[in-house]
Amino acid sequence: MSSLLKVRNLNKEFNGARVLHDVSFNIEQGETLGLFGRSGSGKTTVGRCVIGLENTDGGEIVFNGNPIIANGKKPASGSNGKVPGIQMIFQHPETSLNPRMKGMDSILEPLQIHNMCTNCQMQDKAKELADMVGLGMEHLCRYPSQLSGGEIQRIVLARILSIGPQLIVADEPTSMLDVSVQAQVLRLMKRIQEEKEISYLLISHDIEVLQQVCDRIAFLEEGRIVRVEET
Amino acid sequence: MLIFFTHILTHVSGTGDLMIRKRLISALNNEHLQKAVERKDMLIAMIMLALLILVALASPVLSPYDPNAIDLDNKNGNLTSAHLLGTDYLGRDMLSRILCGATTSLSISAGVVTLSLIVGISLGCIAGYYGGFVDEVISRAIDLFLAFPSIIFALAMMGALGPSILNLMLSLAMVHWASYARLMRGQVLSVKEQEYVLSTRLLGASDRRIMRKHIIPNSIAPIIVLATIDLGHVILSVAALSFLGLGLPMDIPEWGAMLSAGKGFMRTAPLQTIFPGLAITLVVVIFSILGDGMRDILDPHEQGDDLY
Amino acid sequence: MLEVKDLFVEFPTRNGSVKAVDGVSFSIKEGESFGIIGETGSGKSVIGLAILRLLPPTARIRGTILFEGRDVYTMNSREMREMRGRFVSLMPQNPATSLNPVLKNSIQVSEVFEQHGIKRAEGLKKAKDIMSKLLLTDPGRVCDQYPYQLSGGMKQRLLASISLSMHPQLMIADEPTKGLDNESREKTVELFDKIRSEYGSSMLIITHDLDFARDVCDRVAVMYSGRMVEINKAGTIVTSPSHPYAKGLVQALPRNGLVPMDGQSPGRINLPDGCLFYQRCKSRKDVCKKQVPVMKIFEGGRVSCHLY
Repeated sequence: MSSLLKVRNLNKEFNGARVLHDVSFNIEQGETLGLFGRSGSGKTTVGRCVIGLENTDGGEIVFNGNPIIANGKKPASGSNGKVPGIQMIFQHPETSLNPRMKGMDSILEPLQIHNMCTNCQMQDKAKELADMVGLGMEHLCRYPSQLSGGEIQRIVLARILSIGPQLIVADEPTSMLDVSVQAQVLRLMKRIQEEKEISYLLISHDIEVLQQVCDRIAFLEEGRIVRVEET
Repeated sequence: MLIFFTHILTHVSGTGDLMIRKRLISALNNEHLQKAVERKDMLIAMIMLALLILVALASPVLSPYDPNAIDLDNKNGNLTSAHLLGTDYLGRDMLSRILCGATTSLSISAGVVTLSLIVGISLGCIAGYYGGFVDEVISRAIDLFLAFPSIIFALAMMGALGPSILNLMLSLAMVHWASYARLMRGQVLSVKEQEYVLSTRLLGASDRRIMRKHIIPNSIAPIIVLATIDLGHVILSVAALSFLGLGLPMDIPEWGAMLSAGKGFMRTAPLQTIFPGLAITLVVVIFSILGDGMRDILDPHEQGDDLY
Repeated sequence: MLEVKDLFVEFPTRNGSVKAVDGVSFSIKEGESFGIIGETGSGKSVIGLAILRLLPPTARIRGTILFEGRDVYTMNSREMREMRGRFVSLMPQNPATSLNPVLKNSIQVSEVFEQHGIKRAEGLKKAKDIMSKLLLTDPGRVCDQYPYQLSGGMKQRLLASISLSMHPQLMIADEPTKGLDNESREKTVELFDKIRSEYGSSMLIITHDLDFARDVCDRVAVMYSGRMVEINKAGTIVTSPSHPYAKGLVQALPRNGLVPMDGQSPGRINLPDGCLFYQRCKSRKDVCKKQVPVMKIFEGGRVSCHLY
């Protein structure tokens, strides 16, 4: 069975300095791969390359059999309307949601973008997604400034899940959250993985978190993968 | 002085107005409107603006005389029961001229600001969002228009195009759009890097949608404040142009033109200059207060529910 | 040395009064390092600000804060200015935004000295002395640089130098390890150990990082929803706490299995009767719903729970 995500010989330079050296790894369906590294090791860059936010300077990334990056360049397509299968969760809850949109609107937006839901189904779909992440309607009616960090990350999850991604890149999703909230959010992500067969690329500097949550951990040092361990 | 006056009003109204405001607040569903009404100075400014607009719209009915009716027997007249604000040097009724001038001033400034907003926001957003060559071209255009001394530019355009309301609006808009565009571009540059914008792009949204739903709403607060205050400035610019003789055609009463025409009579009959001057001041102050209030209202962090 | 008795802090908002701190009492001895552990929004940062009287003017404060026997809230503004920085100092969260980006580092450190009447040259000398003691290599070079040229760890040391310049008796550190990776956290522990050995100041450390509190503090108080629920030695709280909430926190640590607690902290406008942890407590009894548990002495510390 071929892997969901294949990354081969990813290289990246920033201002002439080499940040990633021949980074290669696979992620299987339904698996959580951890990416561990200190600040400055390049782990966020790896995530951004996988998700398509950065160009690379060599290497290839194949997702579901389709090349996202080949020969270091993104294939010449725009957003061709197809539902993107890779999504990302970011580190800072304060800037992860549009401050002027209520939680509900943020969650329903992906469905509106892809015309996947009629107007009458909107409310029900919002409730369904909110239930999935453990939030109630009272949270959906609030603005991000009225929500806690954990609640915001849940809304981000619901938003992403609405279009059914297969791979979620989570870049330090809980490092700005309190220890109890971190446990809640990570457990939630695990449960969603079991229900929906989603894979995660979990990027973190906290090795204990990765050991609890991941199936395998890749260790990144100064832009190179030095080893991959099973947990 | 007007602000002082407004503050006195608010203190005098005291508890009675608190009850009315509470009922008004619950009746209004929109939370921005709610917050606007909560601030006393905003409330009064909004009411005065509403009155002003009503007066301007009703001016043909409210004016006791035709504003252009010349009556040389009555020139430079003082305040009488027939002419509540006196007459000017041609015997025209000041009250009627001021009322009709309100329509002129408000509509011109609204037109100019709207034009500037549309052009400024669009170009600023495109420059900031796309960057690169497009940004370079637009930014240089902004620099060019900002560098020109605005009055001279407007004068030149009016001289070339000829006096008419439309040409006046176009000239002033040409002078004003650049500051909106520059402000917008700066806002867009910082907003477009926010993580929610990136995530919307990842979710497959088109550039147009991103600009419409995410970039513009989160960049626009300072622009709105600028626009509200600019309404007052445009009135002053129109007044200045009229003062210099290149404003509107003679048969349209306009406060600046009235100021200019009356300047020769400052010693003998000052009222015909003072009243238009007061009118301009009043309107500029109202817009100033509105602009201040708008900025506070539009800031989502002003909720107050998210402290500590 | 610092005594807080029955502190209540409320913030009035549009929807009611938010009770940020709801009856907190504790004391810090000379040379002791006292930690307050709690989630974001538990009110812990508010306590730090309350001690320094840095709360916004809308805050309503009740209770007593005694520093060296003197009531902080009866001091006049001159005494307060003297107290801040000289006797009690604050090391704020987030070194990146707590430093002025346009001032050279030397100025930022010597500012504190100048504020308290010491000349700039002498202040700079003392500043360099502190910086080298706090593991900042090459203080001379650091002084000539700007904050953006320093790494995160160095910014933190600089901030610590600023806080310690006047050898305050009490240093309040607000979330010093928020968002830091393990290596930086270890360096921060090193820094705080150095501070204790070189200066012997008492410290109030506000954090939600349990391991950091264990490594740096002598005693720790656990806060939940504005109230202190347990106070004990740092090691005891992190390895074998008594209060169910503290137990839940410890179990939620990754190395203990990432066991989450259900539910969330209650909203703070209308507090329910009885114990605030009732909804989420696995060991709850009927009495917990009706009565607020009193703080009792238990196993070397104090707990506020009906189980004991």
